[in-house]
Amino acid sequence: MAERDAFVVAGRAFGSRLLTGTGKYESFDAMRDALAASGSEIVTVAVRRIDLDSPDGDITAFLPAEVLLLPNTSGCETADEAVRTARLARAGGLPDWVKLEVIPDPRYLLPDPVETLRAAATLVEEGFTVLPYVLPDPVLQKKLEEVGCATVMPLAAPIGSGRGLKLRDAIRIMVEQAEVPLVVDAGLGAPSHAAEAMELGADAVLVNTAIARADDPVAMARAFRLAVEAGREAFVAGLIPEQDSAEASSPLTGAIHES
Amino acid sequence: MSLRVVVNGRDQAVESGETLAALLERLGVGPRYALVERNGEPVERRRYEEVRLEDGDRLVVARPVAGG
Repeated sequence: MAERDAFVVAGRAFGSRLLTGTGKYESFDAMRDALAASGSEIVTVAVRRIDLDSPDGDITAFLPAEVLLLPNTSGCETADEAVRTARLARAGGLPDWVKLEVIPDPRYLLPDPVETLRAAATLVEEGFTVLPYVLPDPVLQKKLEEVGCATVMPLAAPIGSGRGLKLRDAIRIMVEQAEVPLVVDAGLGAPSHAAEAMELGADAVLVNTAIARADDPVAMARAFRLAVEAGREAFVAGLIPEQDSAEASSPLTGAIHES
Repeated sequence: MSLRVVVNGRDQAVESGETLAALLERLGVGPRYALVERNGEPVERRRYEEVRLEDGDRLVVARPVAGG
């Protein structure tokens, strides 16, 4: 897969088009097994202050060495906070790739487009590979591309909502005009949602809650992997155009009852 | 001589000349996954062994955790 249809971000090729998050698993063991089943090669982590009274375990010990760790800036409400978090992560030895999220709104967790663009420009300038999380906004997409973002990652529906491609028409426009890979991130609740995004022409999807909170996260991770592969192959194969009326699949002449 | 620094908002006594790496070890935080900001500036991992803490330093110690 990697050779013939690679997912290329900032010059780096990946075989898998399913990115996964590490949040909300019951245990690090459950997370590790589900990530393996997903086939993901890009895996997100958050960055938080350590509680010195209970330092707990090290999540990186449960992540395969070959996956790219993608630190996010979750918890940041302004561009300055996001830039600070990304700098801290890079200095401490995490990759210089960052999933940029600037989210001031706790109810719907919708990203701030102005602060996101501002942070993206600064981080690109400082040499980061920036993957911004955004509302599906084709105008913002162009601006993020102009400042040098490596991908643009529009949400399908609010984080963790599992509602699928609620903003499909805007995402379709973004697919049409994308100059860097488009990753549909957040809100995908079922493998069929992921397949739909891929059939539409998204370059990849990012899934967390739908896998982590499934009754069987390993099986769900595999289901998402297959759906992403199916959707991608369908897109590459070329879907037929929709039409309003029927078009028979069998011959219209020579039926047995004809005289 | 004992110095005072602040780690994640909490007062912490450190020995004069103590390195950042030694403090992390003492706090039970493996330097392998600790991310550190000192007085508002991120500290490069390769410098953890050489940075000597000074009286009044304000540290933020973070790490990667589960997230989406």
